[in-house]
Amino acid sequence: MKDLFTNSLNGYILLSSLLFCIGVLGVLIRKNIIILFMSIELMLNAVNLLLAAFSVHHNNPDGQVFVFFIMAVAAAEITVGLAILVMIYRNTGSVSIDALKKLKW
Amino acid sequence: MSKLKENFNDKKMTAVIILSCLGIVSMLADIFSYKKALWYIVLAGVAGAIVANLNEKSNAIIYDMLLTDNYAIWFSTLILALVLLWFMVSKDQYESGVYNSSDNYALILFATVGALILTSFSDLTMMFLGIEILSIPLFILAGSNKKDVSSNEASLKYFLAGAFASGILLFGITFIYGSTGTFKLDKIADWANAAGSNLPALFYTGILLVMVGLAFKVSAAPFHFWTPDVYQGSPMFVTAFMATIVKGAAFAGFFRLFYTSFTSASGSWALILSILIAATILTGNIIAVYQSSVKRMLAYSSIAQAGYILLTVLLSNQEAKYALLLYIASYGVSTITAFTVLYHVEKIKGTDTFESFTSLSQTHPLLSVVMTIAMLSLAGIPPTIGFFAKFYLFSSVLKSNTSYLWLIMVSVAGSLVSVYYYFRVIIAMYGQHEPIISSEKKQIPAFYNVLLLLLVCVIIILGMMPDVLMSIDNL
Amino acid sequence: MEQIIFIILSLAAIISALVVIFSNNPVYSVLSLVITFFSIAGHFVLLNAQFLAIVNVIVYAGAIMVLFLFVIMLLNLNKSSEPSAPLIMKVASSVAGGLLFITLLGALRQSEASAGLSGGNIGSVESLGRTLFTNFLFPFEVSSVLFLSAMIGAVMLGKKNLKDS
Repeated sequence: MKDLFTNSLNGYILLSSLLFCIGVLGVLIRKNIIILFMSIELMLNAVNLLLAAFSVHHNNPDGQVFVFFIMAVAAAEITVGLAILVMIYRNTGSVSIDALKKLKW
Repeated sequence: MSKLKENFNDKKMTAVIILSCLGIVSMLADIFSYKKALWYIVLAGVAGAIVANLNEKSNAIIYDMLLTDNYAIWFSTLILALVLLWFMVSKDQYESGVYNSSDNYALILFATVGALILTSFSDLTMMFLGIEILSIPLFILAGSNKKDVSSNEASLKYFLAGAFASGILLFGITFIYGSTGTFKLDKIADWANAAGSNLPALFYTGILLVMVGLAFKVSAAPFHFWTPDVYQGSPMFVTAFMATIVKGAAFAGFFRLFYTSFTSASGSWALILSILIAATILTGNIIAVYQSSVKRMLAYSSIAQAGYILLTVLLSNQEAKYALLLYIASYGVSTITAFTVLYHVEKIKGTDTFESFTSLSQTHPLLSVVMTIAMLSLAGIPPTIGFFAKFYLFSSVLKSNTSYLWLIMVSVAGSLVSVYYYFRVIIAMYGQHEPIISSEKKQIPAFYNVLLLLLVCVIIILGMMPDVLMSIDNL
Repeated sequence: MEQIIFIILSLAAIISALVVIFSNNPVYSVLSLVITFFSIAGHFVLLNAQFLAIVNVIVYAGAIMVLFLFVIMLLNLNKSSEPSAPLIMKVASSVAGGLLFITLLGALRQSEASAGLSGGNIGSVESLGRTLFTNFLFPFEVSSVLFLSAMIGAVMLGKKNLKDS
């Protein structure tokens, strides 16, 4: 386990897991919708980094091509997310999850 | 282009091409002003896609990404049939002027493309893209009633849950890729078989994360918390689409992945999945009892039904495929019927509470009969198809593995609880007699009467002779 | 040498990621997210995946983050008006996040050789382009459906109904 803090595979697994968990934590504790979106981006970036590391480890470009698809999907997803956010802001004048209590959560 | 033509002549993935083109046609309807004819065009297109899909060359490998085996063909056909049904019953909502039918139809058609991919993928890349193509249009459709704050809220909650689940799913896919070095389902299976019992922890963690991600998508407890709000806030027929087609496709994908790739590692996930199933069945059924809105009750009932359907993933054998097909067909038809009736009742009475069904049998005898049959089918009472689907599912679980007896007992107990809340609707319709306000006597269009009768016939006839679906060879 | 760069980049990524989720002002969050993306791009360079590094900077730091900044600016959200979550909720979430992290750590393989990863030629534009347009041609085409629906959706939600105006 000495190799945890080097640029070995284990080091990348540790780093990506940490970034991923920070993203998950952000989704769980924050209430500002914009920051929730950013936390989700953080999760996806952790995935990208790990995929690239595995791709190098297996010496197989498929993993890096998958990263492209994740980037493409993330861009499309966040566009839709921000459109939803703007729509909500128009109707409620707030971007906090607490402003949305019409339905029982 | 030539490759596309070649594929078309070769009868490969024609349905996907037809639906994509149909989506573009529908998108342009506003500009070229053929919006009045759009409904007919879409209906014809989807019907064409069904025919094309049945003629699909079987066991074709498409770019090493899709595999059109019998499973893919039959589940695609089922999904397309449900979409066709959906377009028929939802006509009224999209003619009311609140929604722009051309945009909405385009999004529905694109989402259907994603659903078709989810039934036939043979590579994790396609599974991921299929899920995303299915979800992204639905985030928007959930919020398509722009002025309504609860629709906005549903849209946001669906988006957050969906994006979060995608992240977890992707992390799982990454771990699986990291341990196997491939995204192909059959190669993953080969790798797992070769490794035998000596599978690395990386692989197990990957399976677990994929399972959690997919459990979010199919709304299994404890990852179901978004479902009731999203189902309640979305426009009625968008909810119907989510509850039937999206759920059916997600289950088809879930089963395909676990059946093809992870059966040899089933020791690691079977226990966790069975706990998930028990939790889902209990949560869904028990919370459904306390609801006052029928729409929200149907949302919880869909959570409970997800628990039953997950039993097929737990089984992961040949028989489970038939059980899955039968169950999705039965659940899909019954749910669409229930939502159609609920739509009309809400339109007449203005709310969707249980009270709005009071003495419906006097003003609208047909609607009450139809709703009764749909509720009986969802509860699993003969002679409807719901009974046979549940019976076949439970018996095939017991036949293959008696150690799941406890799970079947939980399921049966859940079904008994569910009888209570389904019958609440029936009792409200037939039980009380209250003075009728004349405004509530408004009848629904004749087109819907015919359609609803047709749906009831399907539910009952399939219930009488489910062999139609069981006679497919080699699913 | 590579290990020192790895550690510096990792620390930069983790610290700026923590700033993203704990900062009160959304603008600071966006800016530190940009730093995270740049350090992840640095990691890609370290892995000899130069093309991904460039795309990461252009797509994430360039396009997506600018979109975020635009929304923050248009809606004038730079004030921190967010009610903070109850303490018990925060503790519960942190415990959940920590548990997830421990689970993920369990996935580390112990027996792996500890040599540093430095890819051969697979991260080059040539190799990636070849793979993308041969083995992954079909997903590439299918993702156009995804973009089309995201486009329709963003326009549909963004525009005002014609009847209102």
